[in-house]
Amino acid sequence: MPSDAFQPWQLFTLAGLIGATVVVFVSEGQTPAGVILLSLTIFAAALVGFAAWRTLAPIAAGEEAAGPQVLGGRTRAALEREKTLALRAIKDLEFDHAMGKTSEKDFAEMTARLRVRAAGLLRQLDAGTGYREQIEQEVAKRVGDRPAAAARRSRAEAGVCASCQTQNDADARFCKHCGTALGGAS
Amino acid sequence: MASLGYYLLLAAFVVCAYAVAASVAGARRRSRPLTDSGIGAFYLVAAIMTAASSVIVYAFVSGDYSIKYVARYSDSVQPLFYKITSYWGGLDGSIMFWVFLLSVFGSTAVFVNRERHRELIPYVVAVISVVQMFFLFLMIIHNNPFETYLTENPADGEGLNPLLQNFYMVIHPPTMYTGFVGLTIPFAFGMAALITGYLDDSWLRAVRRWTMISWLFLSVGLGLGMIWAYEELGWGGYWGWDPVENAGLLPWFTATAFLHSVMVQERRGMLRVWNVTLVILTFFLTIFGTFMTRSGIVQSVHAFGEDPELARLFTIFMVTILTVSFGFVIYRLPLLRARNELDSWMSREAAFLANNWILLFSAFFILFATMFPTLSEAVTGERLTVGPPFFNRWMLPVGLTLLLLTGIGPLLAWRKSTLVNLRDQFLIPVGAALAVGGALVALGVRVWTSGICFALCGFVLGTVGQEFWRGARVRQQATGTDVFTALVGLVARNKRRYGGYIVHVGIVLMFFGFAGEGFKQDEQVLLRPGQQAQVGDFVVRLDAIRETDDGQKQMITAHTTVFRDGAEIARMFPAKWYFRKHEDQPTTEVAIRRSFAEDIYLVMPAFDLAEQSASMEIVVNPLVNWVWVGFGFLALGTLIALLPETVFAFAQARIPANAVTTSMLLLSLVLWPAALMAQGGQMVAPTDRSELQRRLESDILCTCGCQSPMGSCPMRPNCGHYDQQAARLKAFLAEGKGYDEVREAFTVEFGSQAVLAAPIDRGFNRLAWLFPYLAALTALAVVVVTARRWSSRPVAVAAGDAGLDPALSARLDDELRNLD
Repeated sequence: MPSDAFQPWQLFTLAGLIGATVVVFVSEGQTPAGVILLSLTIFAAALVGFAAWRTLAPIAAGEEAAGPQVLGGRTRAALEREKTLALRAIKDLEFDHAMGKTSEKDFAEMTARLRVRAAGLLRQLDAGTGYREQIEQEVAKRVGDRPAAAARRSRAEAGVCASCQTQNDADARFCKHCGTALGGAS
Repeated sequence: MASLGYYLLLAAFVVCAYAVAASVAGARRRSRPLTDSGIGAFYLVAAIMTAASSVIVYAFVSGDYSIKYVARYSDSVQPLFYKITSYWGGLDGSIMFWVFLLSVFGSTAVFVNRERHRELIPYVVAVISVVQMFFLFLMIIHNNPFETYLTENPADGEGLNPLLQNFYMVIHPPTMYTGFVGLTIPFAFGMAALITGYLDDSWLRAVRRWTMISWLFLSVGLGLGMIWAYEELGWGGYWGWDPVENAGLLPWFTATAFLHSVMVQERRGMLRVWNVTLVILTFFLTIFGTFMTRSGIVQSVHAFGEDPELARLFTIFMVTILTVSFGFVIYRLPLLRARNELDSWMSREAAFLANNWILLFSAFFILFATMFPTLSEAVTGERLTVGPPFFNRWMLPVGLTLLLLTGIGPLLAWRKSTLVNLRDQFLIPVGAALAVGGALVALGVRVWTSGICFALCGFVLGTVGQEFWRGARVRQQATGTDVFTALVGLVARNKRRYGGYIVHVGIVLMFFGFAGEGFKQDEQVLLRPGQQAQVGDFVVRLDAIRETDDGQKQMITAHTTVFRDGAEIARMFPAKWYFRKHEDQPTTEVAIRRSFAEDIYLVMPAFDLAEQSASMEIVVNPLVNWVWVGFGFLALGTLIALLPETVFAFAQARIPANAVTTSMLLLSLVLWPAALMAQGGQMVAPTDRSELQRRLESDILCTCGCQSPMGSCPMRPNCGHYDQQAARLKAFLAEGKGYDEVREAFTVEFGSQAVLAAPIDRGFNRLAWLFPYLAALTALAVVVVTARRWSSRPVAVAAGDAGLDPALSARLDDELRNLD
């Protein structure tokens, strides 16, 4: 969540800078190396402060982060990297095969395994915005009743409350905001 | 300042404890905030350790001698650089430095992997924190580096040990520590995988890179240690099988084994239990190495001294590590079952098994031989020494086998090599080996160990060359470019594999250098100004002995001129330095003139200023520089393997340039221009030493406590024991005694075998000579049995592409095409 607001690390960097400046003025008669090291100590202290904040902030913030996990930029990048790795492994294998270092049978088996893995990652990346849809698709596929999934989707559209426009869960009967009964609920 | 430092250590301990509790609780309850807070606490430890480190460095720089540690390891005249590095000069500081490095390294690893391996991270944090807690605990109750004098502070410190005031000694320990510390990361991930049960290959992917980085640091650290020993200790060699050196080598062997066997798991899904075991063993050996050097349990030149309480604490910690980690391995055994079987003994997998067998054997043999004196003292009460002769005898065949395997491994196909396949692959390398061997015989080289080593070097180089060539050809056909572009692309594309091959080239070069040892010439001579002596092709003339002083130390320098075939090639200045407050420990400043063919290496073990005479040791060390060049290649290869995927595009353009600069940097050993000069002066024959005497000199120890053979005591001339020992040896030889009789006579004279560099093969000591055979055979049996068990247990393999829907499959093909 990048924001333009004052970030904690900025505060601590500033504190470190101010502290170091103060040290330079206060410490008379020190060798230059001594002054540099004192400043470094101050910066380390600022670092300690920042890390302490980093430790305590999540606790203070409480359990609010437990909602559905959305693929953040970083997780997405990690998945991308994994996928590239898997693809590269396949390439390597093909190369080995061309060099006469793998048997036919082996090559087929290992390629298959890697392809399944890469495909899994592709699918995960496709799912993109969140796991929820992916899970629903998966459920739909396994159960095999696509109409039901479609119905669920249409119901999800219907999950929008008529009176206050709140987006409700797909299986909600009443709006969570205003309590109006939602249409289509049996 | 001192109390601030101590409080910081206390705080770090508490925060560590919190990090363990929070992250484990967070993982168990699936509470994100708790885990996050635990990770935050983990970073906090790194921050606190940084602050504590800068406090102690400040104390060193500002000369705060009220702190005992500062007073012991520095003084006011020391250069600033050495003041800073005194931080890790002693036991207490080195433990603190260890924790500092571990916290920084660990934080980096956690930070990098926090998204990709979210389920493992809390346990990684917990495991590393527990390790940190142990070392912090040691400092708090036993080795507090911030301890102060209760009364009277000394006005000045005692100064760092002069032997450590050397550039290589300054960067060698941090490099080693980084390597050691880095190996905690794979262990932590392995344990996390065991605890959580996520034992697919994902933890390996997280760990490989870190193992490689640590391995690189460890290798470079070992190399720097060798250079330091070569340049500073002045016995003409670089590896003395000292327990502390061995301590660094042990985890290096197991880490190397892991880096190889991990490929088998990646490819074939085999060796899963084995890989976890290797990771645990490697970590255990790093701790064990620390224990060995810090508790005084073994005798060594650079051990930190005896300390039974520390030994006890370490023992408890080590037993805990072993019990807990192997407990988890056993608990998770069902999940670790192999996915595939071993099809043939002529396969890459089998080669990897053999490689692991040799590497592990080396590790355990060295461990055993290092610990044998302690063991023997405990069992029979007799003190003895296991020294270089013993190690050399065993490690020679082991090293050669390893070199052979380095060449064979890459030639074998995965799963099964056919006969045609084998002939096709082995033709060129074997040809290369035969060519080298034939050339050597024709040239009249008669040192057979070195000869075999050279031939094997040829074999491995043939293998590597063939791999590069054939790879380039395949790629050339696939991409339709010229061979050179294909070669660059090849390396850039398969960085890990071809980086690995470059590491192999480095190993070959090292062996090439080791083999030069077989042609070493070593003479001792007493010279006066104007006199000269001849060793091999070189003539060394002593011009003068001068005395100078730079305020920190007194320097006695011999001015010599070296000629080769009548032409002056260099002026060399071997010296002895007497540091203030350490007058009893003069350092031997070696003069070395390097070239690729050989080094000429001058040491002045003794001198007489009044008579202007100097006893000189003149050593001609052939090929020794190739060892360092080999380390350069090793580092280069590892770096190529480590290049991240994202620099791929630049890498293509950069690799050749990189290779050139790096090797040029390493190879920039200057050859002095030869100036013709008349060499006058009276010739002095070197001290006449028979073959038997030379052999005995490396088999009988100096008695000054330096634990090195008498011919290479680093304390000469002040030790004086050398002269006594030499006189004794001479007397015995004059009586016409043979090899065994002289050894016997020395044993009688000193009342124990401790004076011999290797124990006599008798009684309990027979174990020392038998053990390597036993270990090798047992290990071989284990390897064979496990391999057979795989063979007889075929496991159903998941069906291939069947589960993939065609659209996805098509997309995959598409992406694969675009990848190149």
